[in-house]
Amino acid sequence: MKLGLAGDGGPPAPVLDLLERAGLPVAALRTLAGPALVDAGEVTWLLAPGADVLEACARGALDAGVAGKDLLLELAPQVHELLDLRVCPDVLVYATPEPGAAALRRVRPRVATRYPRVTRRHFAASGRQVELVAFDAALLAPGLGIADGVVELRSRLALDDAFAGPGRPTGLREREEIAVCSARLVAGRAARALGGARLAELLERLQASVEEG
Amino acid sequence: MIPEGMRDVLPPETGQLRAIEAALCRRFEAYGYGEVRTPWLEYAETLEAVEDDTLEAGYRLRDQQGHELMARTDMTVPVARLAAARFRDKPLPLRFFYVSPSIRPWAPQRSQDGEFMQAGAELLGLHSAAADAESVILLCDCLAALGLRDFRVALGTVAFYTALVDSLGLDDDREKFLEALADRDYPLLESIAGNAGVDQNALKVLWRTLQLSGTRDGLSQVRKMASSDAMDNAIRRLVEVGDLVGDAGFADAVTLDFGLYQDLTYYSGVIFEAYASGVGLPIASGGRYDGLLERFEWDIPGVGFAIAVNRLHEALEEAGAAPSAAPACIAFAGGLNEPARAMELRRAGWAVAALPDDAPAPPRPRLQRSGGSYILELADGSEVSGSWRDVLRALGIA
Repeated sequence: MKLGLAGDGGPPAPVLDLLERAGLPVAALRTLAGPALVDAGEVTWLLAPGADVLEACARGALDAGVAGKDLLLELAPQVHELLDLRVCPDVLVYATPEPGAAALRRVRPRVATRYPRVTRRHFAASGRQVELVAFDAALLAPGLGIADGVVELRSRLALDDAFAGPGRPTGLREREEIAVCSARLVAGRAARALGGARLAELLERLQASVEEG
Repeated sequence: MIPEGMRDVLPPETGQLRAIEAALCRRFEAYGYGEVRTPWLEYAETLEAVEDDTLEAGYRLRDQQGHELMARTDMTVPVARLAAARFRDKPLPLRFFYVSPSIRPWAPQRSQDGEFMQAGAELLGLHSAAADAESVILLCDCLAALGLRDFRVALGTVAFYTALVDSLGLDDDREKFLEALADRDYPLLESIAGNAGVDQNALKVLWRTLQLSGTRDGLSQVRKMASSDAMDNAIRRLVEVGDLVGDAGFADAVTLDFGLYQDLTYYSGVIFEAYASGVGLPIASGGRYDGLLERFEWDIPGVGFAIAVNRLHEALEEAGAAPSAAPACIAFAGGLNEPARAMELRRAGWAVAALPDDAPAPPRPRLQRSGGSYILELADGSEVSGSWRDVLRALGIA
């Protein structure tokens, strides 16, 4: 079986714990950062960035994969979402600098984000216009003067800072919740059609360990 | 340079594709379908009769009178237009097939080429499950005839969801909800449903259904979830179609999949997709589209599918079943000056590319004149030299 795990710098520990409870061979993965292909007997693991895991699923290279809901929303890949693993919970939020909040005054605020599709849809849904600024380090954008707000995962709103130590707040204040996210089990359309029984068994094992946890 | 997402197709692939297309045409004709060809440009309003997101991005241009034209993005809509315009007084059912390219703006995240060849069949004028089944059987027969062994056809139904969503009582939010459903965007579904006061349990049922596929267990669970006649009917219809397809000998190829979804908005009942190992995306997809012809003011039902010829080719290569292209061509150095002899070989069924005398040695199989005699070197390494008669004998002609 070929399974993909998303994560920059290695799959997150809560995902590995869950897979371990389901009896999957994850021991070798704990010290790996990826990207890597790891042959662990019963399972061959792909450790790669989330977008790659989803692409590999969509193209039929993997039986299934684990990736964040934030990426599923943003990339809308051709995969089926099979199970909410209920680990790595997070929330996509719209945040603006405190106390300036130019965003609140502007007719068309500039919003920096790694999630342009989600952002566009979110604001369009309520009839608001924004100017999208595609910026991976979104939370730095207001400080650079190129954005009035950001759309980012809540967990990333804190900033690593070499001078003040990690976790220094960026002065961003949450304004709106956009989507609740967590790690999800997904499968490509072909894997789902062709791998019926194998996939059903994996799903069952994971479901059981989700409910335990 | 050619536009992004487009490609040139070269030999020998062209030969293989043509062989595949020809084999598909023979299957379609064996079921009584007649070939149609439609222009690749249609009036934009013709294609826009169908609400489909892919249309927004379609290629558009204007004719000299200023009419807006559009490159077709699939063949089902043009065939519906053609049927409504030209076959209104003909007895039903009507059966059409096509092997035609369609054009959509390139979308790498959908692994979709800008221009793609589709071979499809449409059966118009019949409501029955048996008509659905014929369409699925024809698809299976096409794939089997080409030597594809372990393909799988997933069989689902739009009618079940429509009924399920109807039972939620969403009113104004229905469209938004269906869109979120197609995106599998659960939080958005939850928030829409929450605002509309939908029962959380009903939503859970929906989500659970989406995950079920393939198994008997899945079918019985879905049966339990059915809470209205419309839902019951949709399930019964799907099972009936599955059984008929099984009767035709394709039981192993078909799985019922309640999680199946299609981007196209015109599907109304049974939908299906074919998969083969090594190809991540469906090699064919289709379904029932009962409301489609009504948009062209002829209210008859229809069901059909389209095979993505390039993906089928990929699947055949993956399975080692790709049709052989044209037979190896003998390069005949000096053949340009001996047209009669080159002809003699061609009449006997060999392909011969005639070259000038002084052509640099071409790859095998090759034939060269040397003085009064000939040297024939075949692809398997064997070599014959001698008179013209010896050449003919070596090729099994004389």
